Amino acid sequence: MTTLSPTHRKLRIGSHSLNRFSPGTQAVFHVLLALFSLICIIPFVFVIIISFSSEESIRQIGYSFRPLSWSLDAFAYTFRLGDALWRSYFNSFLITLTGTALSVALTVLYAYPLFRRDYQYRGFFNFLSFFTMIFGGGLVPTFVICKSVLGMSDNYAALIVPMLFSPFNVIIMRTFLRTTVPMELIEAATIDGSGEYSTLIRIVLPVMKPGIATVALLVALGYWNEWFLSLLYLNKNMEIMPLQYLLMRMQRNADFLARNSSMIGADASRAAAQLPSQSLKMALVVFIVVPIACAYPFFQRYVIAGLTVGSVKG
Amino acid sequence: MKKFLSLILAFAMILSVAAIAHADDLPVITIMFHGSNVSDDSAVLEKVNEYIADKVGAKLEVIWGTWGDFDEKAVNALVSSDSDVDMVFTCSWSADEYNSYAKQGYFVKLDDMIAEYGDALKAAIPESLMQAATIEGADGMGIYAINGFKDTATQNTWDINVTLLNELGYTLDDVKNLGFFGWDEIFAKAKEVKGDSFYPFLVEPMVAERMVTNSVIIAGDSGSVNLLSLYLNPEDVSKDGAYGNVLLNKFATPEYKAFAEQMRKYYQAGYIDPALSVAETSNDARTNHQKEASYLIGTQSYAYGYEYSADVLSRGVEVTFLPCTDPYVDTTASQGAMVAINSASEHPVESFKFLALLNSDPYLMTLLNYGVEGIHYTLDENGLVVFDDAARATYSPWTNGMGNVTILPDTAAEGKGFRAAFQAYYAGAKGIPSLGFVFDNSAVSNEMAALANVAAQYALPLDCGAVDPETELPKFLDALNAAGMETYLAAANDQLSAYLAK
Amino acid sequence: MTTVQQRAIHSRRRRQSRAAIKRSFWLTTMVLPGAVWLLLIRYLPMFGITIAFKNYRAFRPNTFWNNIVRSEFVGLKNFEFLKSPDTLVMVRNTLGYNLLWILLGLVISVAFAIMMSELTSKFMAKTYQTMMFFPYFLSWVVASYFVLAFLDPTSGMIPSMQKAAGQTVTSFYHETRWWPLILTLCNLWKNLGYSSVLYLAAITGIDTTQYEAAAVDGASKWQQIRHVTLPNLRPMIVILLIMNIGKIFNADFGLFYNVPQNSGSLYPVTQVVDTYVYRAYANTHNLGMSAAAGFLQSAVGLICIVAANAVVRKIDPDSSLF
Repeated sequence: MTTLSPTHRKLRIGSHSLNRFSPGTQAVFHVLLALFSLICIIPFVFVIIISFSSEESIRQIGYSFRPLSWSLDAFAYTFRLGDALWRSYFNSFLITLTGTALSVALTVLYAYPLFRRDYQYRGFFNFLSFFTMIFGGGLVPTFVICKSVLGMSDNYAALIVPMLFSPFNVIIMRTFLRTTVPMELIEAATIDGSGEYSTLIRIVLPVMKPGIATVALLVALGYWNEWFLSLLYLNKNMEIMPLQYLLMRMQRNADFLARNSSMIGADASRAAAQLPSQSLKMALVVFIVVPIACAYPFFQRYVIAGLTVGSVKG
Repeated sequence: MKKFLSLILAFAMILSVAAIAHADDLPVITIMFHGSNVSDDSAVLEKVNEYIADKVGAKLEVIWGTWGDFDEKAVNALVSSDSDVDMVFTCSWSADEYNSYAKQGYFVKLDDMIAEYGDALKAAIPESLMQAATIEGADGMGIYAINGFKDTATQNTWDINVTLLNELGYTLDDVKNLGFFGWDEIFAKAKEVKGDSFYPFLVEPMVAERMVTNSVIIAGDSGSVNLLSLYLNPEDVSKDGAYGNVLLNKFATPEYKAFAEQMRKYYQAGYIDPALSVAETSNDARTNHQKEASYLIGTQSYAYGYEYSADVLSRGVEVTFLPCTDPYVDTTASQGAMVAINSASEHPVESFKFLALLNSDPYLMTLLNYGVEGIHYTLDENGLVVFDDAARATYSPWTNGMGNVTILPDTAAEGKGFRAAFQAYYAGAKGIPSLGFVFDNSAVSNEMAALANVAAQYALPLDCGAVDPETELPKFLDALNAAGMETYLAAANDQLSAYLAK
Repeated sequence: MTTVQQRAIHSRRRRQSRAAIKRSFWLTTMVLPGAVWLLLIRYLPMFGITIAFKNYRAFRPNTFWNNIVRSEFVGLKNFEFLKSPDTLVMVRNTLGYNLLWILLGLVISVAFAIMMSELTSKFMAKTYQTMMFFPYFLSWVVASYFVLAFLDPTSGMIPSMQKAAGQTVTSFYHETRWWPLILTLCNLWKNLGYSSVLYLAAITGIDTTQYEAAAVDGASKWQQIRHVTLPNLRPMIVILLIMNIGKIFNADFGLFYNVPQNSGSLYPVTQVVDTYVYRAYANTHNLGMSAAAGFLQSAVGLICIVAANAVVRKIDPDSSLF
C-alpha cells in the first residue's frame, strides 16, 4: 500500500490537545448520549418487568413498572413450550446466519462493480437495482413467482431467498466504498497485475470492514425480525418456523379476536380465554432480543474499533 | 445468459421429476381451516387417511390457519390461484368472504356434484342451510360452499354477574324491568359498594348498540364497523320491524341518538372503563374484566351452552345470559362457517367427496375434531368424551369451523344430550324477513372504503360514550354524507327491494 | 505517421480494449448473482402492476396468468379511493410527518454519530451505541404497551399523577393535540440508533491522516468536524436523504396504527396513506385498490427521487444516486 501516498504517515501529536474535545465538551456529549441511551433501554427493561409480572397484576392495573406481584409463570410456560421453542430458536439462528452470509456476499459483489467508475455497465446495473427499490410487483405476484415458478414453499429457501438482496444495502455499500476506498488503490493494484477478484478480496475487503459489518448488521436484524415470509410460505411444515413468527402468531391471534369479536360471537370469547398471557408474550420478546443484543458487540467491534486507528493504515 | 437458462432448465427438470414421483400415489387434497390451535396432527391424519383412502380416493393434508393468520393465508392462496389448496374455510365475516369470492370466480359451483355424490350430505344438513348457501356466483345461481351445521342463529344477551347483583340487593327482574335506559341506580349502587375503580357496565360497544336499537348486521356491509341498520321486530323476529324492510344509515336514526346519549351519561358517571372506547385496548380490557368477574352487566353474543363453557365457569361467580330477543336467523349467522372448493384445485371431485363425508360421517368428524380415541380423548362410562389435556393442547381445532358439529358425540363437560338440545334450540329459531339478502358492494367499493374510515374514526367513541354526541354526532353524519353515504345507502336499498321482490 | 507507429498505437489500443473487455467480463460475473435474483424475484412479478388498472377476478381455467390476461381493464377506477374527503388529511399527515422526521432524524443522528466518534472512552461509545439499537428490536406493538403504560386513562403514569395532584385527567387517546409530539418522539426513539450507526461507520472509514493534517495546520476540533468530518459524511448524508425522500409517500404502519391503539378519535393526526388503505382494504378486499395505492406511492417516490437527484447532481455530481 506504499503506492498510495508517499507522505502518508502516522503522526503523533504531542499533547492531543488539538485532536480531542475538552473534558467539558465531552461531558456534555456524555450527558446527551447517556440520556438518549437510557430512553432507548427503558422500554426493554419494561418488557422484562412485564414478563415477570403476575397475570392478576396485569389484569388489575395493566402494564406497570411496579406490578402488584411478581411471578415466574411466563418463563415456566415458555420452557414448557419445550421443543417448539428450541426448534424455532434454532431455525431463527440458522436462517439469520445463512441469510446474512449469502446476502452480504451478494451485496458486496453487486456493489463493488457499481463503485468502479471504469466499469462499462455500471449505469445499467445501477438502474436495475435502484428501480426495484421504488417499484415492485406486489405481494401476490411475487408469491406466485416464488412459489409456483421457483418452488419456494415449506422450506428454508422460502424464508431466506426472498430477502437475500436489497437495493438499499447495495447503495449503502457503494457509498461506503466511495468514502473509504480511494480509486488510486485499485488502479495501483490493476497496474500491479492483480485480477479483479483478487483486488476485491485482498485489497478492498480489508479496508471495507466497517461498511461490511454495518451492512451485515442490518441484514442480520432484518432476518432475525422477519416473520411475514413464514406466514406466507409455511403451510404444512411448521417445524421450520422461526421464533419471531411464533410470537407474532400469538400477537395476531389476539388482534384478530379483538377486531372480529362481534362477528364471531361466543367462539371469540372462548378463543380469547385460551390465548397466552401478556407476560408470556413479553417473555418471548426477551428470548428474541437477548441473542441479537449479545451478537451486537461482534459487529460493533468492526464499526467502532476502526475509530481509533483509522481505516488506511500506513 | 446461458448459465441462467441452464439453471432454469435444471430447475424445471427437478420439478417434473418430483411430479412423476407422486404420480402412482393417491392424489393429495389439502384443506385450510380457520382458528385452530394445532401443533401435531400426525396421529390424526394417519387415521383419517386410512379411513378415506377407499371412500374418497385421496390423501388429506391440512393447513391449520390460526385466528391471526388465516385471513392473509386464505386470500393469498385464492387470489394467487394456488392449486395446492383444494378446500378453504369461508363465511360471511372472513376475509375470503363467501359471497364476494364466489362472485369473483374463486369457488367451484357444487350443484352438479351434490346431485351426483351428495345424497348422504343432503340427509345430514337441513335444507334451510343449503338454501342459505345458494347465491348468484360466477357460474350462475347455485351452491358454492358446504354450509356448516352449527349455531345458525344470532342471539345477543346481557351477561349478568348474578352473584354481585344479589349482593347489591337487586334481582334479575329489576334488571329486566328497568331496562338499558334505567340502570343508573343499580350502577350507582355498584360503584358505591365496590369503589371508584370498579366499572359495572362492561360493553362491547357495537354489540350493545345492536342490542339496544334491535338492529341486525347486513351481510356485505363494511365489516369492521357496520354502516347499515335494519331494525328487527323484537317481539316477533320473523315480522317486520318499526321501519319495515328498509336499510338505514345506522348513525342517523333517533334510536341511535338515544343510545349514544344514554351511553354518554353512563360513561361520564364512571360506569364504563375508558379502555373500552379505544379499538386496540377494548378487547383486552373486556377479557380481563370478564376473567376477574369485575363487572355487573355486560354484553355477549350468545351460543347455546355458553354458560357451561370453561371460560364462564372459571369466573367463579354465577353468570346468567339475559336475551334481548329470541334467536333469529339472519344471513350472517346462516353463512357463519362454510367450506368451499378452490376453483384452481386440480381435484375438485375428491375434495367434494371428502367434504360430503366429513359432514355426514360421525367417525370422520369426531376424528378430525376431537382427535384419536385413546390418544386425545377417552370415553367415560356414559360414553361421554373426556379430553386428555396434554394431547389436546397439541391438537385443538376450531370445532365450529369444520362443518356439521351436530354429529359430534357429547363431551363430559357439556353433559349427555347436549348436542341434541343444541340442535333443537337452533331448529326452533325463526328467520328474519330479509333472510338471505347479501349486499353486493362491488359497485360502491370506493365509497365503502371512505365510509369505513370515517366510521372507524367516530363510531367506537360514540358507542362507548367517550365523546359527546351533542357535538360529535352531527360532525360524524356530515363526514358520512361527504364520503358518499347517500350513494351507498341507495345502492343497498335498491338491492334489498329487488331481492324482496323476487 | 509511419506505419510502424500506427501499428504500435493500434496494438496498444487493442491491448487496452482487450483488457477493458476482460475487466468488464470479470466485473459482470460479480454483478450477475444479484442481477439474476433481481430479475427473478423483483422483475418477473412486475407484471402484477397491471392489477392496479384492472378489475381482477378469477376465470376458467383458474390460473394466475389467465386471470391477469382476461381481467377487464378499468383505467383509473381503482384510483378513485382518492376522491374521499379524507384524502387531504392523509396526504397532509404523510408528507408533513415525513418531512419533519427526515430533517430531525438527519440532524440528530449525524450529531450523535459525531459525538460518539469523538468520545475519549471507546467503551462508553460502544455502550451508548449498543443501547441505542435496542428500540430496533422491539416491534411497534410492544412499544405501544410502553406508551400505554404512561398514557392509559385508568392506570397510566401520567393520568395517575394528574389524579394525585387533583387535576383533571387528560384523555390521551381521545385528544389529538398531543400526538404529533408523541409520534415524533417515538419515531426518533426507534430510528436514531439505526441511522447513527450508518453515519458512525462512515466516520470510521475516514482516513485519519486528514485529521492529522488539519491538526498540524492548527485547526481546532470544531473546525476539523466542519472541514473534515462533514465533507466526508456528505455522500452518506445525501444518499440517505435521497432515499428517504423516495419514501416520502410511505408511512411506518405500526407507528400510526399500533402506537395510538387504533383510536378513532385520533385519526385527524394519525391517518396516513398506509393506514387508510389498510382500513379500506380490510373492508372491501379490493385487490385492485391496494395495488393502485402501492403504484401511486411508487410513482410519487420515483418523481421525488428523480427531482432530488437532479438537484444533487447540479450541486455535487459525485454524491448523486445515479
